[in-house]
Amino acid sequence: MEIGLTHFLILAAFLFVCGIASIMLKRNAIGILMGVELILNAANVNLVAFNRFSYGTINGQPVLAGQVFAIFVIVLAAAEAAVALAIFLNFYNNFATIDVERAQNLKG
Amino acid sequence: MPTPALLLLIATLLPLASFTILLFIGKRMGTPLAGVLATLAIGGSFVCSMIALMVWLNPSGQYFDPSRQTMIEWGANKNPINLPYQWVPIGPGIQQDHPNFMDVGIYVDSLTIVMFSMITLVATLVHIFSIGYMREDPRFPRFFTYLGLFCFSMLGLVIGGTLLQLFIFWELVGLCSYLLIGFWYEKKSASNAAIKAFITNRVGDFGFLIGFGILFYHLGNVTLPKMWMLLGDAGFGHDITLASGVIFPAGLLTVMGVGLFFGAVGKSAQFPLHVWLPDAMEGPTPVSALIHAATMVAAGVYLVGRIFPILTPGAKLFVAITGVTTLTMAALIALAQTDIKKVLAYSTLSQLGYMILAMGLGSWIGGLFHLITHAFFKALLFLGSGSVIHAAHHEQELPQYGGLIRKIPVTGITFGVAVLAIAGFSIAGWGFSGFYSKDMILAHAGAFGYLAESSGKSSAYWLFFYLPTIIAYVTAFYMTRCWMLTFAGKPRNQHLYDHAREAPIMWAPLVALAVLSVIGGKYLGVSELLQSGIRESTQYCRAVVPKFDGFGTAWPAEATTTTEGAEPTAAASSDIMEKGHELMHHCVGWAWLVGIGLGVIIYWNGYSIAGPLTKFPPVNYVRIWLYRRMYFDELYFSVFVAIVMALSWLSATFDKYIIDGIVNGVGGLVKRTAFLAGWNDRYVVDGAVNGVATLSQELGAAVRAPQTGRIRMYVTVLMVAIGLGLAGAIIVTLSR
Repeated sequence: MEIGLTHFLILAAFLFVCGIASIMLKRNAIGILMGVELILNAANVNLVAFNRFSYGTINGQPVLAGQVFAIFVIVLAAAEAAVALAIFLNFYNNFATIDVERAQNLKG
Repeated sequence: MPTPALLLLIATLLPLASFTILLFIGKRMGTPLAGVLATLAIGGSFVCSMIALMVWLNPSGQYFDPSRQTMIEWGANKNPINLPYQWVPIGPGIQQDHPNFMDVGIYVDSLTIVMFSMITLVATLVHIFSIGYMREDPRFPRFFTYLGLFCFSMLGLVIGGTLLQLFIFWELVGLCSYLLIGFWYEKKSASNAAIKAFITNRVGDFGFLIGFGILFYHLGNVTLPKMWMLLGDAGFGHDITLASGVIFPAGLLTVMGVGLFFGAVGKSAQFPLHVWLPDAMEGPTPVSALIHAATMVAAGVYLVGRIFPILTPGAKLFVAITGVTTLTMAALIALAQTDIKKVLAYSTLSQLGYMILAMGLGSWIGGLFHLITHAFFKALLFLGSGSVIHAAHHEQELPQYGGLIRKIPVTGITFGVAVLAIAGFSIAGWGFSGFYSKDMILAHAGAFGYLAESSGKSSAYWLFFYLPTIIAYVTAFYMTRCWMLTFAGKPRNQHLYDHAREAPIMWAPLVALAVLSVIGGKYLGVSELLQSGIRESTQYCRAVVPKFDGFGTAWPAEATTTTEGAEPTAAASSDIMEKGHELMHHCVGWAWLVGIGLGVIIYWNGYSIAGPLTKFPPVNYVRIWLYRRMYFDELYFSVFVAIVMALSWLSATFDKYIIDGIVNGVGGLVKRTAFLAGWNDRYVVDGAVNGVATLSQELGAAVRAPQTGRIRMYVTVLMVAIGLGLAGAIIVTLSR
């Protein structure tokens, strides 16, 4: 059986659901961050797969738009992780915990 | 600027400088430094005036006359210095020296010089006297501050070259008079007297303003010589056609003259505005000597001297009647006064009446000559009374004095000299100063009588001669009475007598003034200088108006032509003058001896003769009538003050019921409107605002509920929503 686009999409959907579940179920901020990373990577898998299966080549040259997009997303994820971790450190400094349930100061 | 004008300007500004300095740091300088500074300033003015006089008598220069555009020579017997400067732009004037401008100017002739010398001299002496007299006063520096302002104003009045300027300084001296009369304002009587003087003067100044308004309407604010040139024919009593073609009717000219003269009536305290001067004696005695005897009250005579050529015969008659009324009435009242300063005040009134009478009869020189000599002996009398009052611990009543010559001899002797001077003491044609000036006035009055007779006027015109003649006797008598009651006889108040003592600093001014009172008539050359003043002004005016003879119009003879080119005189032809002089000599030659002799006989021992004499019915009624000053104060109180009171009551009632009623009605209306507006505000406007607020609050509460702040719940809701949306989309897609 040849591995086609569907397989990649299923993998991406699985990853996405894992990420969502992680965000919904974890109280630990680090866990949520990890869930976010999973979601981003699910998107990456989709991007790369669509590029591979949808475009192929133009004038004999391979089209790499999806791959480039994926690389940008990875860079973005790294930056986002740095910012998020900094927020968590401050959060910890103020509340002596990283339990997101405690982050309710803005509650009206 | 020619030297004399410059010197006189400096003399004017020096007291202003002293005033300014004392105003700011007078209190810190204290007693007696403030007084010394003021005295130095006015002394400087006196020195300047003296130098100016020397220069004036030996003239050696020319100046560029801006109104004539040529160089002319100034000096005694040559030409006056007339320097107009443009000041305020007022649009097209009619006969201005500078078209379209209100002028200010300096005018210096012999009269100016004489006035400057007299004012600065008397003022300097009074300053020196005041250092001694006011020594114990806590407001010593302020006194000298006011004196500085007064001297500046008075000198400014004399140097001023236009009537407007004269009026400005006129008001300034009035203000100083007010401030100094009310100097001891803790005394109710002093502050009342100050207000009385100020208000009475306002009445006169109102007349001045009317006269000035008429003049200004026709001529604009012209310099004095220009005014004389344009209206020099007023003395003939006919209409004057101005260069612009406007006709200045004779009636209006008379009204103008009387109006301007009314300023003099107020300032020189002539009948009927004389009531303020006796009350003004509430001020410190040096002030009475300087302001209310020598200078300010004489400003009225000076004013009449300046407007003399533009007075019509009608106006002159009015002036003469005012003068003769005042001099008679005041001398009679002076007979019965018991306050030493009141006696002197009425004596001043009477002498001012003589001056005004002289002006009205056409004796320009006589009036101003008497002004100068009177300034000397009356300042001496007042300073002498100041010395007496100082010695007597501020007791002013004659019945409390007596025999003081033994305690204060210098004052007594100098006072005696002044009494002789005012009485017209003379032997074999030589006399004290008052003799010469009064002689001139009465001789002119005699000549006036002959002239009136020869021109067919009513014999009532002789009253202008006989009343002053009789009063000359009365003058000698009441002044002797004053001296005898103060200095001769036995002491009537032993305690006061024992403590009386002279202060040496007050001697010098007394002696100086006594010397001046003796020699002021013959040896100072005042009348010659005044004669030269007439010559200068006439000469100056004749260069433009060849027929000008404003200072010499011989009324009441109805002159219709002028004597062109004749030597200008202030009087009629010389043979009539001679006749008048002879008549005067017969009538009053020994008046001083009769008056003084009677005074000495009656008062040789205090009240021992006069007391019983005035007890019996006809005499004592007269005495009381005169003592109460002929009830003028009561008359004015019951007429003018009562009218004002009634008017005030009326306005108060109007105010209380009508104005207040309207105001209260409006107030009530506003209150009701406000109540309605308040209700509207509370229920309608506030209701709307509160309603909106409540609505937002409820909405906010509703929307707030799902915002729990729990991130996991948000994500869950989000996912459920996406899931539902996706499911919906799939179902819709599949069912299509």
